Amino acid sequence: MDKHPYLRVRDLSVTFDSKRGQFKAVDGVSFDLSQGEILALVGESGSGKSMTSLSIMKLLPEAARLSGQISIDGVDIATKDRRSMEDVRGAKLGMIFQEPMTSLNPVLSIARQMTEGLRRHKALNRQDAMNVARTSLLDVGIADPDRVLSQYPHQLSGGMRQRVMIAAAIALQPAILIADEPTTALDVTVQAQVLDLLVDLKSRLGAGILLITHDIGVVAETADRVAVMRSGRIVETGRVEEVLNVPQHEYTKALLGSHLTVETGLKIRDAENGRVAL
Amino acid sequence: MLYIISRKVILAMVTVLVVIVLSGILIHIVPGDPVTAMMAQSVTATPEAMAEMRSRLGLDLPVWQQVGLYVWHVLQGDLGTTIRGNEPVLTLLMQRLPNTFMLAVSGLVVALAIGIPLGFLAAINRGRIADTVVMIVAVFGVSIPAFWLGLIMIQVFSLKLGWLPVAGSGWRNIILPALTLGLTYCALVARMTRSALVEVLGEDYIRTARARGLREHQVLLVHALRPALISIVTVVGLVFAYLLGGQVIIENVFSWNGIGRLAVQAMLERDYPMIQGFIVVFATSVVVVSMLIDVLYSILDPRMRAK
Amino acid sequence: MTEITQTTRPWRSPPLSVLIGVGIAAIIVVAAAFAPLIAPYDPLRMAAGPRLSAPSATHLFGTDEFGRDLFSRVLLGARLSLGIGVVAVLSGLAVGGVLGLVAAFSGRYVEIFLLRLIDVLYSFPDTLIALALVAFLGPGIENATLAIAVSLVPFYARVTYGLSAGERAKPYVEAAQLAGIRSARLVRVHVMPNISQSMIVMGTLGFSSAILSAAGLSFLGLGVQPPSPEWGAILASGRNYITKAPWILMFPGLAVCVTVLSFNLIGDSLRDLFDPRRRTR
Repeated sequence: MDKHPYLRVRDLSVTFDSKRGQFKAVDGVSFDLSQGEILALVGESGSGKSMTSLSIMKLLPEAARLSGQISIDGVDIATKDRRSMEDVRGAKLGMIFQEPMTSLNPVLSIARQMTEGLRRHKALNRQDAMNVARTSLLDVGIADPDRVLSQYPHQLSGGMRQRVMIAAAIALQPAILIADEPTTALDVTVQAQVLDLLVDLKSRLGAGILLITHDIGVVAETADRVAVMRSGRIVETGRVEEVLNVPQHEYTKALLGSHLTVETGLKIRDAENGRVAL
Repeated sequence: MLYIISRKVILAMVTVLVVIVLSGILIHIVPGDPVTAMMAQSVTATPEAMAEMRSRLGLDLPVWQQVGLYVWHVLQGDLGTTIRGNEPVLTLLMQRLPNTFMLAVSGLVVALAIGIPLGFLAAINRGRIADTVVMIVAVFGVSIPAFWLGLIMIQVFSLKLGWLPVAGSGWRNIILPALTLGLTYCALVARMTRSALVEVLGEDYIRTARARGLREHQVLLVHALRPALISIVTVVGLVFAYLLGGQVIIENVFSWNGIGRLAVQAMLERDYPMIQGFIVVFATSVVVVSMLIDVLYSILDPRMRAK
Repeated sequence: MTEITQTTRPWRSPPLSVLIGVGIAAIIVVAAAFAPLIAPYDPLRMAAGPRLSAPSATHLFGTDEFGRDLFSRVLLGARLSLGIGVVAVLSGLAVGGVLGLVAAFSGRYVEIFLLRLIDVLYSFPDTLIALALVAFLGPGIENATLAIAVSLVPFYARVTYGLSAGERAKPYVEAAQLAGIRSARLVRVHVMPNISQSMIVMGTLGFSSAILSAAGLSFLGLGVQPPSPEWGAILASGRNYITKAPWILMFPGLAVCVTVLSFNLIGDSLRDLFDPRRRTR
């Protein structure tokens, strides 16, 4: 496993200017992500974790100002213009979003949405692109890829849509995959499946995965390393076993305390309803 | 989907029926005696002719019976005859209806051809100069009375420059009125295109498309424009109705031989049967076109197709 | 309790478009109000100057085919147009507003029936409705105003219904109904203040529509009758002199444009201001 960090973020800041002054959504964040590992970025809403992921992709809203260093495979992309970023996005950095319902274009077929990235980045013809798309769908556990390819997003369930999104992203074989709360909008049972899928992808494809989540339970199950964010800053980072068992920072302790109680409570309730075996 | 279409058809038919009833009622708001008012304009006004007209219109009957009679006649295709030459109203209107449609469609095409690209330009440059300029032009456009624009067009293109003929109904003659209509309503189209596109551009799937590294023009033309166009289709029906309304006056300005010109002449001559006939035919046209556009929308949007 | 304002946004200085709109509108309103005092000549007086003379120092907008001063006629026309507009909008708003409220707060069958009726009428352009009415009522300024007022009713009814239906879903209405407040009082005291903001916006937009309709009707000879100098009527007579005296065409037309433009600007900005979701900027 190549331990050279593919993604290096140094002193990343995202600032919004408003009439009432500046607002720093992300304040001096630094971390590394290597291929073949899952780094979880965990925090409450508003901690800046989504902003961090969007800034790596340079998909920030126009009002945002970005400063710091982001290097992909040794190349600093923070200063790259739009056209060069278009080459990086998708091919080197993949991203999947929280809301599968709205993240797929309702008027285009699944086939179209899956193959367009392939044809753009890898210059494949329609035939080859469809084959790759088929394989990707199989990889994410969709048994009948041809049927799904001919359908439209509204004909699929939430879990299926999320899988399609993941398939579309990994079909391009990016070195880094950013997953922004991929399971938050899904049912509990489907959540588990999608998370298992991500872990599987890590080992099979050797991708580095940046997993954004507010759920410590997800972190515990899935991630190798974790960085805890609060108010735009990383307050603690390290291997999951260490941070979760021996939290150093006060905030981490508080986060763990509240989450585990809720998490355990939920597990008990689900067991009672017969949904999940405890 | 068949169910949805048949519902729309029924709704359309009910609408036309309501209009027919209203048209039958309208003749009763004429102050005084309608026949006297009508005949005052005509040279063939004799007491016998007036009595005959009265009985034909059934004016001796109570109001609600008259309206019922009128509706009954219309549903059988009898729209009455004009007071002028005693010709059947329906025939006269039908002769000119193709002209009206020809002009209306041409005008619509121009409006869309100018309006959609402008709206598109404004939307992708949201907040910047191009957007403001387009929006300012659009506000102006919405404020210009169509008939004034028509007169100016005549002034400039026909009289001053001598490029195009002033009046008549040939294919050369269609250019100026179509252009006038198109320019008048392109502002509305531009605004609606812009807001549809702005809404689409704020959607999550545009962000996904960008995250895939697609070229910006791909994102705009494929991922943004297509859903926006589908919402614009619903608007086209509205624009078309307005356009037909404006066309009534435009036909007058350009002496275009369509039903609008016929109608206005009838209004000036107090030819009530003709006016009623015009209302019915016009309303039916609007309803039919709206319905067709509705059906088109159902076909275009994949979300509706599957049902 | 009752929510009076839905949006509590900080006051920002209004955009340029509003200021221009209000500015122009103010000038026109003043001109219309003081027309008899400002007009240099009697608008109806023929041979006030040489016939069909171009704009000059003595006749700012030139003269028409009867030698009447065009500037004075346009000024008086402002009065006519604004007068028609105000009366038509207020009456249309009153009737349409009541219809919309009744539709929203009455029983189910009343609502469905009224709504269908309103929708049918709304699908037709208002100028046409006005035209049809005038065709039967006969020409003249009163009939034209009435016709335009009626043509605005479907629009106002629909808008009011939409707003009322929106309010109806809000908790304070349910609370009031549970407290036993009868519909009429509920509407008058609680609902109306909340929708009045939007109604004002609709008022300005309907106003521009009314002025356009009035000009159109008069242009065709079905509205204000000559020699009254309604802008559309002047344009109609100017039609015969397009080449000889293009100013007869230009100034009344510009007057219509500018007036409608100013109220559109005001209406648009008000609409953007009062409906935070609809921000197109």
